[in-house]
Amino acid sequence: MKTRLPDHGPLETPKFWRTLEERVETLDAQEAAHHEFLPSAGPGAFDDVHGLPVQDGFSRRDFFGLVGAAAAVAATVACDRKGQGTVVPYTKRPVEVTPGVANYYASATNEGRRVYPVLVKTREGRPIHITGNDEHPGVKGKTSPRTLADVLRLYDPDRLRAPKANGRTLGWTEAEGQLQAALKSAKASGKAVLLVSGAVVSPSRKALLADLKAALPTLEHLAYEPVAGDGAEEAAKASFGQSVDVQPRLDKAKVILSLGADFLSGEDPESLGAWGAQRRLKSAKDNINRLWVLEGPLTLTGTNADQRVPVVPSRLAAVAFALAKELAAKGVSLPAGTDLSAIPAQSEVPAKAWSNLVKDLQHAGRNAVVLCGAQMPAEAHQAAHLLNAMLGSEAVSVRAAEPLATVKDLETATKGMGEGRYAAAIFWDVNPAYTFPKASAWKEALAKVPFRAWIGQVEDETAAQCQLLLPENHWLESWGDFSTASAAVLQQPTIGTLYDTKQGEDVLLDAAKALGAATADNYHAYLQARWQKSLPLGTSFAQALHDGLVKGEDKAASPAFKGASVAAAAKKAADSKPQGLELVLFPGFATHDGRHANNSWLQETPDPISKMTWDNPVAVSVQDAQAMGIQEGDYVSLSLDGTTLRLPAILQPGQAKGVIALALGYGRTTGGVAKGVGVDAFPLLGLDPASAHVRKGAKLAKAGGKKELSRTQSHHRMEGRDIVRSLTMDEFEHHPQGHHHAPEIVSLYEDQKFPDHKWGMVIDLAACTGCSACVVACQSENNVPVVGPEQVARGREMHWIRIDRYYEGELENPKVVHQPMLCQHCDNAPCENVCPVNATNHSPEGLNQMAYNRCVGTRYCGNNCPYKVRRFNFLEYTAYKTEPETLANNPEVTVRPRGVMEKCSFCVQRINDVKIRAKGDGRAILDGEITTACMAGCPSDAIVFGDLKDPKSKVSQLVTASRAYRVLEELGAKPAITYLADLKNPAAGE
Amino acid sequence: MADVTRKPIRQPIVDRATALLAGPFLLGQRALGLVFQPDKSPGDPPPEPAALRISIKPPEHAIKRRG
Repeated sequence: MKTRLPDHGPLETPKFWRTLEERVETLDAQEAAHHEFLPSAGPGAFDDVHGLPVQDGFSRRDFFGLVGAAAAVAATVACDRKGQGTVVPYTKRPVEVTPGVANYYASATNEGRRVYPVLVKTREGRPIHITGNDEHPGVKGKTSPRTLADVLRLYDPDRLRAPKANGRTLGWTEAEGQLQAALKSAKASGKAVLLVSGAVVSPSRKALLADLKAALPTLEHLAYEPVAGDGAEEAAKASFGQSVDVQPRLDKAKVILSLGADFLSGEDPESLGAWGAQRRLKSAKDNINRLWVLEGPLTLTGTNADQRVPVVPSRLAAVAFALAKELAAKGVSLPAGTDLSAIPAQSEVPAKAWSNLVKDLQHAGRNAVVLCGAQMPAEAHQAAHLLNAMLGSEAVSVRAAEPLATVKDLETATKGMGEGRYAAAIFWDVNPAYTFPKASAWKEALAKVPFRAWIGQVEDETAAQCQLLLPENHWLESWGDFSTASAAVLQQPTIGTLYDTKQGEDVLLDAAKALGAATADNYHAYLQARWQKSLPLGTSFAQALHDGLVKGEDKAASPAFKGASVAAAAKKAADSKPQGLELVLFPGFATHDGRHANNSWLQETPDPISKMTWDNPVAVSVQDAQAMGIQEGDYVSLSLDGTTLRLPAILQPGQAKGVIALALGYGRTTGGVAKGVGVDAFPLLGLDPASAHVRKGAKLAKAGGKKELSRTQSHHRMEGRDIVRSLTMDEFEHHPQGHHHAPEIVSLYEDQKFPDHKWGMVIDLAACTGCSACVVACQSENNVPVVGPEQVARGREMHWIRIDRYYEGELENPKVVHQPMLCQHCDNAPCENVCPVNATNHSPEGLNQMAYNRCVGTRYCGNNCPYKVRRFNFLEYTAYKTEPETLANNPEVTVRPRGVMEKCSFCVQRINDVKIRAKGDGRAILDGEITTACMAGCPSDAIVFGDLKDPKSKVSQLVTASRAYRVLEELGAKPAITYLADLKNPAAGE
Repeated sequence: MADVTRKPIRQPIVDRATALLAGPFLLGQRALGLVFQPDKSPGDPPPEPAALRISIKPPEHAIKRRG
């Protein structure tokens, strides 16, 4: 690499940078800045002088020969009548379905203990798009990126379609007969039966398990969530004497301290909504919260921090306890029995920041909250519990929850299986053969259990160890209920079962009946009977299903904090010293614990921080990488406790020195998409529940070789122009436009006339956290194809909206700004002028629109777009979709073929849908009635869409805000998207 | 300015014209021959796209919000 470091030359360090090469201004980076596309994105090399394709060894004669042959072959092939399909009308139309009209069903799902109330859009009976349930008082119509993408899992071609026993397909009567016979035999012999499932957050599922336990007293149930955080569970038991569910209430928070907590990652739409509400400031006098983050690896929450300090995770607890001690010294009362005498003064946080942090927390009092990351050690969680108790925080809800099993419990079960304790084992929606750190020991012990049954959707590593496989419904085909703090939520099917599957509850209900329990015929009846007893007066079950929820008071208890539990944790924290490199194992953005690894939408969505797709390289701090001579993509060997993994490395600015981070959920051995993607990091998980995810003593060494990373952070460059703006609150108050001045635009074009509407968008960078929910929502709505890791590495990803992540400042602890970038729908669009066939043109409502069947694929428009938001379908990406996957397509959006340019349409199909409905009702379109997919998916409401012709519309008012600017306004393209500058709220003098 | 990259003409113009016409003709004939070969077995047919056998059923007992 041609390198010129800043201290070796006169070049000025750029203010904002996306890659390390840009930051250190290497000559490679300077050269690359002139290539807006990766050179590999094009079909071949081009002549640097004339811009024409280089034609090495290809003569005119060859050309004519090929043209002749091609003409002859084309003429021959054209005679074949291929691709004939038949359109079959409904012979008997279901009453629910009106062709061309979407139906919406309220339903819900969960991921571990987190519940997602949703609204599901179906077309002709097919669920095609998911958003949050707008009736739910907590999520307010928002949901997580993984929930948005879960509609694709319904159509996963790898789903098991009928029961199987020892490889033989069989019917449900025989399959359930085998299971029931095994359970009856176990009951008769008095031997134990092991049932391992995910977290139980459903009251009816809990009741069903109790019924089963009553019918089969030897049943042992473990609810295991491998990435929920064993440390959090251990700490809850110590601090509250029971398992708890900690939910932030950020609407009440003025000061937030995160100890490695990633509550802005997109998993928690409720927190994101409350965060966004306090960040969308109109003036500097509006209330804004302040976010302090102490963490090892850079998290999405860390990138949104007002003040962030990199701290090694094993030292977080000591720092937090020192904070409690300091607050106590300043007069904040400690809970009775709390002993912090073992805690010395901290040295991790610089003195000035420390003093500001203490002041902030003390001043905010009950409006301050301390949140701890699920993967952090138990002592750090206990310190957070203590601090919240001291502050009397109202910005966090602690509710009693059903206990979760830890790795220790799984280890005990393994021992029991090996000793022949169990007559049967049932695995329901869990995959311990993959997620348990000692997987080979687990498999060996499991083989000694005489009867092994598996209930799930896609045959996984655990299914391979079981004799009886029972295919389960997707949640979009299932009944259920969930408990949340603000409402009980109901789950209902949105489609009949696609295959010969059953939901797990029905299997267990049938088993309970076979064992003598007097219970309902099926789980739907069971659920209905339970709810009809407890619904509030005047509410019917049908109404509850229509709404998707039953509002009411939270019945879960709020346990009290036990001060006496702190002394032991404080001593352990004080004694904890870093040893070697510290490895943090965190759930993958795309994969979580591996359950989403077979979802190609998620695999291809760039990680919000590293911008990696289709892989989980180990993230190394820049300082450590320089010391070890590791460069981006170098293969390294990561060793810990006798386990060694060979995997590529990436350099992560902002990561604490001495910390390495690795995502879980990759390296699966089953699944058409998941198999072989990334490296399985579960073998590195610790067996000590107090610190299973933070491991000391890891060793890293260069292993030779380099991997080409499918990483998008350097794609679609905009030549280092002034694109992103970030202000501090002080600057916002005194210089709301920063040091930027709106350029005077002189245009040769006449101003366009928009007779009825002029659609526009405003994106508030202060509210955008970079969670990427908009990327997934757009993919689902607009049939955006998946291209795979090799094509991503060539810069050919197809997302219509991308999130550009910019660093600002020092490598060790940069500030970060996230900027969603999509077609700007320019009035003087540079792409429109250069299209030789007028495939891209302007609508009378200000939309830059594409006529796909007119596009001949010159790609001139992509070259001339200053925002790099046009995507070219180089190969037939959509043809890779197999039959069930195509059912996820939105019929209102054209599926684009090869050789065609495509891009954001401002969800024109949604605009037209509302226009048609408004016309039918004989009224005007209401402000806010049209929502683009990205806007509807954005959990922090950072995106606003509307009519710029309507002076009262929200979007019209926002475009004149003091923070407003347009990207590359000086080019005179007149984009229809306005950005509001990012805001940071650091403490005074920082 | 002379085109220095241009190859010198070594063949008579008639030869070149013949090649230009005959090349595509022969290749086209070959291509046709691949498709229409009555005395030979046609080989494995290209895989047909799998027929859609998944029947879509509406959910039973569910209550829709709107539509």
